[in-house]
Amino acid sequence: MPWYEILPAAMLICMALFIFTGFPVALVLGGLGLAFGVIGIMVGEFRVAHFNAVPLRIYAGSVENIILVAIPMFIFMGTMLEKSGIAEDLLYTLQLLTRRLPGGLALSVTLLGTILAATTGIIGASVVLLTLMALPEMLRRGYSPQLATGTIASSGTLGILIPPSIMLVLMADQLSVPVGVLFIGALFPGLLLAGLYIVYIMTKATLQPHLAPPMARDEDHSGSEIAGMVIKTFIPPVFLIVLVLGSIFAGWATPTEASGIGAFGATLLAIFKRRLSYSVLKDVCYRAAVTNAMIFGIFVGATCFSLVFKRLGGDYLIEELINSLGVGPWGILGMIMVVVFLLGFFLDWIEITLIVLPIFAPIIEALDFGNHVSNAEMMLPWFAILLAVNLQTSFLTPPFGFALFYMKGAAKTVRIQQIYRGIIPFVAMQLVGLSLCILFPEIVTWLPEAVLN
Amino acid sequence: MRALLSISDGLSAITDFVGRMAAWLFVPMALVILYDVLQRKLLNIYPEFQQTLLYQFLPSTKAQELEWHLHGFLFMLCLGFAYIRNGHVRVEVVRERLSERTRAWIELFGCLIFVLPYTILVVDLSLVELAWKSFLINEGSSATTGLPMRWIIKSSVVIGFGFLTVAAISIMLRHIVFLFGPAELRPLANRYVKGEGVEELKHEVEEELARDAADHPEHHFGDRNANNNGRRG
Repeated sequence: MPWYEILPAAMLICMALFIFTGFPVALVLGGLGLAFGVIGIMVGEFRVAHFNAVPLRIYAGSVENIILVAIPMFIFMGTMLEKSGIAEDLLYTLQLLTRRLPGGLALSVTLLGTILAATTGIIGASVVLLTLMALPEMLRRGYSPQLATGTIASSGTLGILIPPSIMLVLMADQLSVPVGVLFIGALFPGLLLAGLYIVYIMTKATLQPHLAPPMARDEDHSGSEIAGMVIKTFIPPVFLIVLVLGSIFAGWATPTEASGIGAFGATLLAIFKRRLSYSVLKDVCYRAAVTNAMIFGIFVGATCFSLVFKRLGGDYLIEELINSLGVGPWGILGMIMVVVFLLGFFLDWIEITLIVLPIFAPIIEALDFGNHVSNAEMMLPWFAILLAVNLQTSFLTPPFGFALFYMKGAAKTVRIQQIYRGIIPFVAMQLVGLSLCILFPEIVTWLPEAVLN
Repeated sequence: MRALLSISDGLSAITDFVGRMAAWLFVPMALVILYDVLQRKLLNIYPEFQQTLLYQFLPSTKAQELEWHLHGFLFMLCLGFAYIRNGHVRVEVVRERLSERTRAWIELFGCLIFVLPYTILVVDLSLVELAWKSFLINEGSSATTGLPMRWIIKSSVVIGFGFLTVAAISIMLRHIVFLFGPAELRPLANRYVKGEGVEELKHEVEEELARDAADHPEHHFGDRNANNNGRRG
């Protein structure tokens, strides 16, 4: 085997090995890029001058990039909404609204996940938040642990899919697709999944009411009381999210501008709720800064890694590997989906988007599905959304699912077997949703085409 | 060993200070974006706005370039800060089963093999290739109304990776103390080897919810029944 086949393959293997030591991924990536550059120099496949491109790429890719400014702003918006205690108030109001429906509390968790999806997007954080907030109450009311944990895990992961999701901003950047198109395209698939969850919960709660006991009578509130709470706790965050998404969808603002408006709006909400103080603002800034640096740290490390990987012939390796399989576009689609699904057991979407997408992007861009996707320009957005739904499924699938791991960490009283059993119906619905998006690309492409034309 | 620990604390404190200062850049960033959106609307209704001093000082091109300038400094200066605060993503699947000593060895080797060569190379090259070259040719924006002096933002890479180096040295010293130092110093040096990500996260959210419940007793689930009955009675 020639060096240009051995080195990139060894690079991928080393990455897998060292990532699992638990050392920060961002730093493993950067360090491995450098190390393999040096090995490449020793065997004559790389030149010292090639390293000069590293800081140039870092600067051009991550600093001088106005699209990526949306990421810190959405993180800030999410952290601010979280700090202002809006999630708790929302859950409480949603519970009152859905109290007469079968499985009302589970429904309100799903709705909360859908609404707050806008505000988080870091899987671990949102699953832990939902678990600590809703699980004790669900168990206290006599919900079955299976139904409760399944609902929370699946609703908590909706955030990576439903816009404004920071994952979609990064995917758009990696695949050179407009962020707005991905946001608009992700709306129906996201709502489709949330809808499937809701149908399942209501059916289950109607057929087996003992799994999801309704709210007791004496907890009833009068109509005007509820209306007041809806106005106070429900309308403001929903208005903010509609404002952010609406201005992107209507073409009034770029995603970056909308993210800035969102960050400002979230701060205003906190002020109205009298929750904003100097120390809260400071805390939000620090937390958001750490999360943002975490994402961009991986971005920068992956830049260094993939630059060396490509210089050493990694592109050829992957391309030849895939061509030698001779499976055609659908086979390649299936293969990438399987690879991403398996990686999702161990890695968060940040690593997958920033490591795997750059490697596969040239191949994905060259795929041709004929007439399956009506408009050639919509092929990449469609593919990106499929990846997003796929990733979310992978985070939920036992035994390794990322979300389940965090959930178990946050909920000591529930056994892992109960979590596994509870999530299976939701994974099944995810797969239904994913298949629908693959078979009917219109679910993804119709809205962007309608809005943009 | 005690001296090493103090040096490590000192370096951490410097990196942490820089990160905390940079974190405040969120505020001007949001304000600049807001300004950019508003001034465009304003120009539609009130074209004379173009003549004002504010617009002359910060036209749209400049505002948009300022947005990513601010962001460049924000995330670059926080790279080391995030490492000090253990904010960089780790894959926890295997890590949670390792002993504290093994984790410490991994961290020490990781800093030596991965971080330091990488950060020092990037500092060196970005100083020469980015900042200095840009300074020599007095590079400005490619747009005529854009921001001048590109070397400033290009230095953010140098400074950011500089502080990441400082953070890595601090963390390395700490682990040397943990691994080779006397037993009584170990509790002071084990900040990065004890907790698992999930535990930390859980603890944070719990504190948050407790604070929230204290502020809004009527929404707290546990004792809501009592409250409602009281209100009605």
